[in-house]
Amino acid sequence: MKKHRGIKMFYLIVMLIFLYAPILTLMVLSFNASKSRSRWGGFTLDWYISLVEDGGIISAFKTTLILAFLSALIATVLGTAACIGMQTMRRKFRRLILAITNIPMLNADIVTGVSLMLLFIAARMTMGFRTVLLAHITFNIPYVILSVMPRFRQLNRNTYEAALDLGASPLYAFFRITLPDLMPAILSGFLMSFTMSLDDFIITHFTKGAGFDTLSTKIYSEVKKGIKPEIYALSTLMFVAVLLLLWLVNYHPWTRRKNDNGRKKFRSVPGIAAVLVTIICATGLLSGCGSSAAADYNDPNSLFIYNAGEYIDPDLLDEFEDETGINVVYDEFETLEIMYPKVESGAARYDLICPSDYMIEKMRKNDLLKPINIDNIPNLKNIGESYWETARSFDPDNTYAVPYCWGTVGILYNKTMVDEPVDSWSILWDEKYKDQILMQDSVRDAMMVALKLLGYSANTTDEKELREATELLEKQKPLVQAYVVDQVRDKMIGNEAALGVIYSGEAIFTKRENPDLDYVVPKEGSNIWLDCWVMPKNATHVENAEKFLDFLSRPDIAYRNFDYITYSTPNTAARELIPDEDIKNSNIAFPDLTKMSGLETYSFLGEAEDRHLNSLWREVKAY
Amino acid sequence: MPVKLIDLQHITKRYDDNTVLDDFSLYIRENEFVTLLGPSGCGKTTTLRIIGGFERPDSGTVLFQGKDITDLPPNKRELNTVFQKYALFPHMTIADNIAFGLRIHKKSNDYIKDKISYALKLVNLEGYENRMPDSLSGGQQQRIAIARAIVNEPKVLLLDEPLGALDLKLRQDMQYELIRLKNELGITFVYVTHDQEEALTMSDTIVVMNQGYIQQIGTPTDIYNEPQNAFVADFIVSGIMIRDKLVEILGARFDCVDTGFGENRPVDVVIRPEDIDLVKPEEGTIEGVVTDVIFKGVHYEMCVMSNGFEWIVHSTDCFPVDTHVGIHVDPFDIQIMHKPESEDEKAVAVDE
Repeated sequence: MKKHRGIKMFYLIVMLIFLYAPILTLMVLSFNASKSRSRWGGFTLDWYISLVEDGGIISAFKTTLILAFLSALIATVLGTAACIGMQTMRRKFRRLILAITNIPMLNADIVTGVSLMLLFIAARMTMGFRTVLLAHITFNIPYVILSVMPRFRQLNRNTYEAALDLGASPLYAFFRITLPDLMPAILSGFLMSFTMSLDDFIITHFTKGAGFDTLSTKIYSEVKKGIKPEIYALSTLMFVAVLLLLWLVNYHPWTRRKNDNGRKKFRSVPGIAAVLVTIICATGLLSGCGSSAAADYNDPNSLFIYNAGEYIDPDLLDEFEDETGINVVYDEFETLEIMYPKVESGAARYDLICPSDYMIEKMRKNDLLKPINIDNIPNLKNIGESYWETARSFDPDNTYAVPYCWGTVGILYNKTMVDEPVDSWSILWDEKYKDQILMQDSVRDAMMVALKLLGYSANTTDEKELREATELLEKQKPLVQAYVVDQVRDKMIGNEAALGVIYSGEAIFTKRENPDLDYVVPKEGSNIWLDCWVMPKNATHVENAEKFLDFLSRPDIAYRNFDYITYSTPNTAARELIPDEDIKNSNIAFPDLTKMSGLETYSFLGEAEDRHLNSLWREVKAY
Repeated sequence: MPVKLIDLQHITKRYDDNTVLDDFSLYIRENEFVTLLGPSGCGKTTTLRIIGGFERPDSGTVLFQGKDITDLPPNKRELNTVFQKYALFPHMTIADNIAFGLRIHKKSNDYIKDKISYALKLVNLEGYENRMPDSLSGGQQQRIAIARAIVNEPKVLLLDEPLGALDLKLRQDMQYELIRLKNELGITFVYVTHDQEEALTMSDTIVVMNQGYIQQIGTPTDIYNEPQNAFVADFIVSGIMIRDKLVEILGARFDCVDTGFGENRPVDVVIRPEDIDLVKPEEGTIEGVVTDVIFKGVHYEMCVMSNGFEWIVHSTDCFPVDTHVGIHVDPFDIQIMHKPESEDEKAVAVDE
């Protein structure tokens, strides 16, 4: 018996750990003074403070609440009305309709999201608050029907007839008798919709447009540079809020159902929850209605920017707005591959986008870009000639692209764990460092490492060379600890690996956090990447865009931006302003390109070749 | 002769392929207590709902005091309904429930207050004004439903198996209460039930229905004494008329009083449970074994198996299970009926 009890306890504990360990980790990290996910830097409340100060997150939070509230409210009204209609149908027909309304619920979100996006594009609607609201109402309605319909079936139909019998008009009977009876189901339908809307990422992602973010899309768009600790703080707060709501609903005395005879019953637990939700949302509405207003692309005094997550100092945007009076709508994409179809389809309109080299080439070749008139932007003289030259590899006449940030791909290594000098990609094949090596989970970067080691071009399409590189990567696989993206940074800071392939911009940041780390671009050569501002063909705020580029290229502004994002700036005048000599002359941030050989930008190889590379990469990972 | 208050003329009602009422005609006189009696699916509730206005007949006319009300919605009709499942408004107090119709008709507050206390007194539930419906027992709720209907002073009160959900004792009390109410208020009652006893107790007129037809109309005494077909009597057994005044049932010969059925003709024999006497095995006409006994409050209900047939017997004396008994029936208590050959024939026989 006793033994059995032990097993039961053990099982319970394992279950609880399984369920709550992730949330606990998150909560602990929200108080971690270090930005690293793997190192404890002491207790702090800084992230909570900066969370409250972070306009972007707070405004996304408000948008999320307002969206959830409005979509749940409208869906509840429509769904309830649908139930009334369905109730009067013949049985067979009602079943059919009920089945039809249930299907969207079972549909994969991605299907719903993409199809809504296509519909909105076909209807020539601009993506924004309106489209997301419509989408959320669409997927919420089935949940309302699901919640209200069974209650309708349970209703004593005679009460409605009794009201008619006593002289009530059908409308009066419905509002006075049927609706109060349905209320608990309607409220729980509302709450369910509200939660679904809060939860949703995928559908929002596909139907949102410029200047619009809910919490989930906001958080996701920041993944590119790693999740900010503020997000841990926010998630912790949300978890606690939900816990509190649950407690209120279930245990607090004044929400408990009273069982005394004869008195009115306090039965509306969902009612109380709904009231709370309404109050929270009302506060949100009152305190910042403007923030959720959909941006209007037709406003001539605006500028629509589409950039990668965490890729600019947000203070600079405010400053630009103050200086020029132009209203900036700033939006972030997760990956270039997601950005591209949105811009290509015209579903989202922007004036400036910041893609990388190969993507610029693809956009140029597909005629999606508008030339930028460099003569109108005097500060572009601060951009170093060598960067214009690099840009010519994908924009031959410097017609379309204005350099913004650049960097290299290299090896980040821990000096205490690697005793020999690191100068070649070949160290990543050294048996000594088995399970100490981190590779980038990205086909172009991984292939580049192997191709360079073999002495080939990173842009080769030669099948024999690609095959050799693939085999080399397969040979390396047993030594590799993990194929990851931004964990390279965290694992290296936490001394969890000895060697990792990383971007130079990340290297500066990691060295700051862990001085034992160093970065090198191997002698065989590597990728040099360059992100540039481009103007899509359908951009209309050309003058505002030129003003913005001029502003960004001002040496003081460019310097502050570099200090914030730590990616190398091509602005030579800005570099001169860096006070820290170590960084100004850092080999990581500003390597002397003339002394390095074999640096190549990635070029756009064409869709078919991309697919081929991807299949080779899958082969490596499945090896 | 009182005037026709409600006149149903040639009513037909179908649900999909199922004909519930077929060319159904019936009139109800003022101050009458009319009961529609029949098994479920016989069309009695549909008839009531057509009178109440909740269903529209596919063809036919409903006249109320000579005026055509076939297409009039329920809220415009001068009659009120008491539903089978009480149908009280669960989120309103008893007082608000009763006042519902009065408020719609814009009566003054004083008038409403008087009416509520009058109605509660009438149904013996004084002081229940501020209770909620679900704190009341089934019988109390049913009485509130009646109070809610009668405060509007309808010309007709329609009752759809109002006592169906109550237990026996309560049902009997309510039956007396309904008779009292009818006498006090002087309004017409149209009552629907499948319970013979209930119908016999309360009605002035009983309308026996089956499969959308009227099988028999008459006073309770008529219906009880001279049922015109097999449905009216629940308790039938097949027999053979040997000759006048002698019938063979389950192999045993019983004396009876009926004549004119011919010789050696198959017939239906009706014997009511209360008319069967259980005696010692050797004293009965036929033997049997008690298989089941239920105490019904006033009497015992016993099942007696005899030659493969199960007799239902009501008696104040109890015979325990497995007792061998004899069955004896007085000749006056045996009713012989022609055996109908099909359901249709049954109905046609009645229509003529």
